[in-house]
Amino acid sequence: MLFWTIGWPIIWVLIGSFSFTGDASAEIVAYTRGAISISMMVFGLMTAGMANLPGNIAQDRERGLLTKVMSMPINPWRDFTGRILALFAFSVMSAILVIAVGFACGARFFFTTIDFTTSLAFILLIFVASAGIGMLIGTFVKHVHGAIMSGVGLTVVSAALSGVMTPYAYLPSVLQNFARIYPISSANSAITYLLVGIKYAGYNPLSVSQTVLTLFLALSLFIFGLIAYSRFCWKKE
Amino acid sequence: MGPNGSGKTTLASILASVKSPTSGKIEIFGKKPEAAKKITGYVPQENFSSPLLTGRENLMYFAGLLGYSKNEAFDIVDELLKKVGLREDANKRVSQYSGGMRKRLEVATILFPGLKLLILDEPTTGLDPSARRKFLGLVQELRNEETTILLITHIGADADLASRVGLIDRGVIIAEDPPEKLKRNSGLENVVNIETSIKSDKVASLLTNFSEKMKIMETETGYRVFTENVEKATPNIVRSLDEIGCKATRIETTKPSLEDVFFKLTERKVSEVD
Repeated sequence: MLFWTIGWPIIWVLIGSFSFTGDASAEIVAYTRGAISISMMVFGLMTAGMANLPGNIAQDRERGLLTKVMSMPINPWRDFTGRILALFAFSVMSAILVIAVGFACGARFFFTTIDFTTSLAFILLIFVASAGIGMLIGTFVKHVHGAIMSGVGLTVVSAALSGVMTPYAYLPSVLQNFARIYPISSANSAITYLLVGIKYAGYNPLSVSQTVLTLFLALSLFIFGLIAYSRFCWKKE
Repeated sequence: MGPNGSGKTTLASILASVKSPTSGKIEIFGKKPEAAKKITGYVPQENFSSPLLTGRENLMYFAGLLGYSKNEAFDIVDELLKKVGLREDANKRVSQYSGGMRKRLEVATILFPGLKLLILDEPTTGLDPSARRKFLGLVQELRNEETTILLITHIGADADLASRVGLIDRGVIIAEDPPEKLKRNSGLENVVNIETSIKSDKVASLLTNFSEKMKIMETETGYRVFTENVEKATPNIVRSLDEIGCKATRIETTKPSLEDVFFKLTERKVSEVD
């Protein structure tokens, strides 16, 4: 899982940084590398939430740890908080590493303190949405490999179709619509918009309606995941 | 004690509040299982300890879940590791532990202070004979403390350790008494245990003739014949087997085991998978 969460995004930062910049000016090359680094950081966060988390839940179920914990006088919230905090720490580490490699490869960003703070909020939304999807997968896919592969598959496919891995401007209109309603993709565009500019985001993801939609859908995914996890993972048979 | 599929694990899961009963009522020291979680410790069949952590780290994790502070936990965990004989290996990763060591570590998770009912679900399954003996020694030591141990097993020799044994079949407790009383009340006097070169319907049918109540039980290596008159039956069994070309490679007379009692009561073998 370390490969998919940290290794794979870093490989794409390296490939992207040196392959897709052509004869563009140094400034454009630097910002393109910045946009690629952001996309790959988002991909890492997606993998952590959508594949690592369900993998861990399924593993704990398979080896009896969930049964053991359920037999103890523990509030399910405690188990849930532990999982989310561990995932958060792992996601932060992954994000810092991917951006650091991008920076070392020449990625540059242009932002104010407010832009940076707002970006952190969108990163948090990506984390929250990915964790929600991860909890849904972990609750319903019982086996470890099935849970991990479902998570990785969903991450790769949704990232490719929603413009996380491909520029928004080159997507067909139907996928551009999907990119706007898929909160991970719209949050990715918002971060790109804030840190490298609208040219690299493809549209204005910070309009009020788009921001509200992103916020609402990200939180909804998290709440759905949380309900599924607490109802079905902790439910007595 | 009961065969696979008889409902042992289901019963343990309900007692541990992991499953809900479809009907009936359970009380543990006067409380419902959910409310008795604070005094009930459960070791499921699966190896739930993390192989990536050390033995000490695993126990510290469970101490944390139970709300102990780090300082409190350290001393208690040290004591628990000593109790289960793992103090020397406390800082080794669990992946380096043998099956028996891992099971003992998992038993340590239910030895935190305050627990009154300890449920061990088939803890000796998969252990080699030496690890099994060592593990049962630990259970014997725990017996002397002020706790009730519910040991779930399909192995008669494990059940022999208990002060009371409940025999379960198809979800129903069919008998419950101290092991010696169960054996005495079974009416089984003696058993001729025979290891044979051949196992077939013909051999089984022949051996049935030597049991007054036509009772024999197939084992992995041969048969057990329940008979009242061992002295008379044994030479005749050997002779008759010879006549049909089947060699008795080992023959001994024993007292009935709990498996025999189960067989007597249900006409089924304990090792039989439903």
